[in-house]
Amino acid sequence: MLMSGREFFLNRYRELGWKHEQPKLRQAIRINTANTGREDLIKRLKSLGIKLEKVSFVEDGYWICEAKFSVGVTSEYLLGLYSIQEAAAQIPATLFSELKGKIVLDACAAPGGKTVQLADLMQNTGAIIALDVDKRRTIALTNHLERCRVKNAIVYQLDARQASRLGLKFDCILLDVPCSGNFAADDDWFARRTIEDVERNAKVQKEILTEAVNVLRDDGELVYATCSLEPEEDELNIDWAVKNLALETEKIGCYGREALTSVFGKRLDGSVANGRRMWPGRTQGFFVCKFRKCEAE
Amino acid sequence: MIKPITDFVKQFNASFSWDERLIVWKKNRYFLITGNMKRLLNEGFFYVGTYLGKVKSEQFFPSFSLLQMVSEQQTNKVYVDRKSAWLFICGRDIFKRGIVRAKGAKGEGSYTLVLNEYEECLGFGRIVCDLDMAEGGVAVKNISDVGDFLRRERR
Repeated sequence: MLMSGREFFLNRYRELGWKHEQPKLRQAIRINTANTGREDLIKRLKSLGIKLEKVSFVEDGYWICEAKFSVGVTSEYLLGLYSIQEAAAQIPATLFSELKGKIVLDACAAPGGKTVQLADLMQNTGAIIALDVDKRRTIALTNHLERCRVKNAIVYQLDARQASRLGLKFDCILLDVPCSGNFAADDDWFARRTIEDVERNAKVQKEILTEAVNVLRDDGELVYATCSLEPEEDELNIDWAVKNLALETEKIGCYGREALTSVFGKRLDGSVANGRRMWPGRTQGFFVCKFRKCEAE
Repeated sequence: MIKPITDFVKQFNASFSWDERLIVWKKNRYFLITGNMKRLLNEGFFYVGTYLGKVKSEQFFPSFSLLQMVSEQQTNKVYVDRKSAWLFICGRDIFKRGIVRAKGAKGEGSYTLVLNEYEECLGFGRIVCDLDMAEGGVAVKNISDVGDFLRRERR
């Protein structure tokens, strides 16, 4: 049986309860409130012919309704007043209960959209330790930090699975793990992906989760996110984490559907439902789950 | 250690009184950090805090964060109109007619920051005529502008 291709994956999604619809993706931006006021920026962009509409589920997110040119070439963008960031991708950083003054690990940080958002939410207090394993991507990350005038980040070119080498304990950890992606954001996705890719990514994600728990302080918060629709990288990993690591999931009230607790006939831990699954539609496909580290007895 | 930076900002008639212990140097790049970050910093870092600039072939290349910090002082600066601001970030020079007002040194050969109508620093350049006397033509030669962020991505 062929374990790849459009029909193979669409059949899986049907089994998971979703009927394929062509997503209507819209470009979104996030205002960097450390660098500008919301109303001021909206007015400035309007004067350039860029019309925005508020994204209802994230505080500083706006859809681009109309633009005469790319929103990635304005002086406002180059001055770091806003970032171009997919609407669903704006959710994970907002799920931490308190960020100001904290020591935060952004373990798979490049290209840096969420790192900049964390800095914004932290108002440049505390510190963000941002890691990426790839040099080219790490350079892109630092360009993003420089453009957005982030002041509280320390960047290492380091594999997230080696985070304990830093000898630090973190209050909060964001794991926007490398994943298989989804078809909504990539026209060739069905042609390029196989179930073996998904399984390989799921294995790496488990390794990253394990290392993250090692460096998370007791009672610390961890947010896990992927832009994959494959349950092996989402609910099955969450189920594995609550059964094998010192983690428990926490309820989050964000956009999206309750995560699945039954996957291809397998019954998962009930607390997996605390995660949120976003099927492609107004946003790309996305998955997010918040954990708290259980205190050592 | 920070002489290249202090020499650079002097060209704009600006100065800083930084605690040198909070300026770190990695390869040829300078960063400004906080005391809290210093405690967390490991030797193998790639980037930290506020990037100030780099030294290459004995010349200092400032970051845009440093230029913004300089622009918040009484220093050499020209404020330009919207069209000139756009052309400047595309790498073009500033014409006399695009300058709305100027502060600090205005003579030929002086270095000046270029600010937009919102007083945001877009980069810097060298004045190529006397700004009070010149009637037209190129007034400020572009040396560095924030459009560099896009040009870096294309390299």
